[in-house]
Amino acid sequence: MTINWAQILFNSVVTGSLYLIGAVGLTLTYGLSNFPNFAHAELITLGAFIGYFVAERLGLGLPTAFVMAFLCTGAVGFLCYRGIFQPLAKRGATIIHLMVASIALGFVFRHSIGGAWTWKPLYFTATWSAFDLGPLRVTGLWLWLILAAVALAVIMHLILVKTKIGKAIRATSSNPELALASGINVDRIIWLTWFIGAGLAAVAGVFRAADTQVWPMTGWDIILPMFAVAILGGIGNYYGAIAAAFIIGLAENIGVVGLIALGLSTTYRIGIAFLILIITLIMKPQGLAMLFRRA
Amino acid sequence: MDILLYFLDLLVFVGIFGIVALSLNLEFGFAGLANFGKVAFFLIGAYTYAILSQIGIPFYLCLIAGALISAIFGLLISLPALRLRADYLAIAVLAFGEILRMIVKAEVWLAGGDWGISVSPVFTWMGSELIYRLENIGLVSFCLFICFLVVQLLANSPYGRVMRAIREDEIAAEALGKARAKYKAQAFMLGSAMAGVAGGLYAQYLQCIVPGMFMPMVTFTVWIMVLLGGPANNWGALLGAGLVEFFDRGANIAKDYLILPIDPSNLQYILFGALIIFVLLYRPQGLLKESPVKTKALEAARYGRGSVKNEGS
Repeated sequence: MTINWAQILFNSVVTGSLYLIGAVGLTLTYGLSNFPNFAHAELITLGAFIGYFVAERLGLGLPTAFVMAFLCTGAVGFLCYRGIFQPLAKRGATIIHLMVASIALGFVFRHSIGGAWTWKPLYFTATWSAFDLGPLRVTGLWLWLILAAVALAVIMHLILVKTKIGKAIRATSSNPELALASGINVDRIIWLTWFIGAGLAAVAGVFRAADTQVWPMTGWDIILPMFAVAILGGIGNYYGAIAAAFIIGLAENIGVVGLIALGLSTTYRIGIAFLILIITLIMKPQGLAMLFRRA
Repeated sequence: MDILLYFLDLLVFVGIFGIVALSLNLEFGFAGLANFGKVAFFLIGAYTYAILSQIGIPFYLCLIAGALISAIFGLLISLPALRLRADYLAIAVLAFGEILRMIVKAEVWLAGGDWGISVSPVFTWMGSELIYRLENIGLVSFCLFICFLVVQLLANSPYGRVMRAIREDEIAAEALGKARAKYKAQAFMLGSAMAGVAGGLYAQYLQCIVPGMFMPMVTFTVWIMVLLGGPANNWGALLGAGLVEFFDRGANIAKDYLILPIDPSNLQYILFGALIIFVLLYRPQGLLKESPVKTKALEAARYGRGSVKNEGS
């Protein structure tokens, strides 16, 4: 069997794009609020379901589905922080309490979604037929996904570097007290980040859903690689996350080839991200952040 | 009669999960470690027991082997993350649990895959379900008693006070010459071993284990037990285990009798999640508070000879 390396590279870019869109919110809120939000998985799921509802039940088409998923889930993400995590942090909850609360919230969401909709997988009716592009086998959805990730990377870069809001986000992330003393409304910056992060998680959810299926575990299925992205990239580090998303995408896709060659089950695909996570923790817990010190 | 059997069954579950809750209490309550992959060590114990008992090894050796293997894995997985912040450990161990479940699911030759493994029971079925359950309660409560004793003695020993000091302020404890990573690793190993024993008992009692039993929900249920009952209080952990299991059964019974617009098993998880957020917001110390440290030196300083001497002089 000859291995089509171009295809593997392309698949890696597709996987990495999905992880990037999903993990940006995770790593930014992790950096700003100093705890990993495990309910991020359920924000992805929620986005997928809202997207499915708008596109399939209301019949408004995929573009509207993306916008609605972004806005609604963003609002939910903001409310989660405002209603639960911020009061907890104000009451002096430790990082462990915040993590447990986020897992609890995830369960509330997951089972609310399962109860309100269904636990059976749902599929988008719009199918994306594969076509050949040079040596590659691609679908339109994958191309859109890559386009979205590139657009996100560029837009977020411009926001973070050029605008006042972006500078305020970076300032708050690196030193909240100093940011507060400099007249930055730290609360508002954190709320905005939670809104955008949750909204982007929803976008990743809709992409994942349109590509595979929608069910209450949609987000949980892909949350571990996203945590690996956040940690490998350096927590709260946006540029690190971009690099890490594609590294993990590449490792997964090459790893799958390796797993097949070794005769192992391809369900171990997620295990590759886990291995990278553990190696990062042993070798360089601060992740790739050191490569992007200035950012 | 049926109600009695049902109640005894509940007691076995309370005992098994009481052991897991105690182990988490040791790790989280006393040592301040966020073990978000408790189910992984529970799984290791259960599968070790099942695989070893299949080749005819006596049950007590299987339980001990489960505890040992679980402890070794606990050490291996926690070592990279223990030096770091609590969140790294949480993520690493959570991921470890998911991977393990994937492995037992995929490796059919080892663990039977989705069909799982059947385990021959310790106690022979002597025609009476009542006696069978009573024997199981005896075995489980014996293990529970030993675990409780170990954690209780440990918590009130100098060793336990070092653990609490590390939980409260790592740097201060380090400055006093206490190697925090060593203490954390030991607490994690011991906690994992206890979870392994509980897993073995679970496999033994149910006589069949499948990967679907070891979802992350199990970890979360144990966290509810500890947080609800009161972290760093062993009676609290047991109380929490009792309450949560009781609630769990209640929801299962309600499923048959109540007609709700929402599936009760979904509702149960939603309520559990909401309950934990509520507890964290309004009563983070849980139902039973952590009891103050009791030592002879402290008592002497407060009421004992020291004050008497001062009066005399």
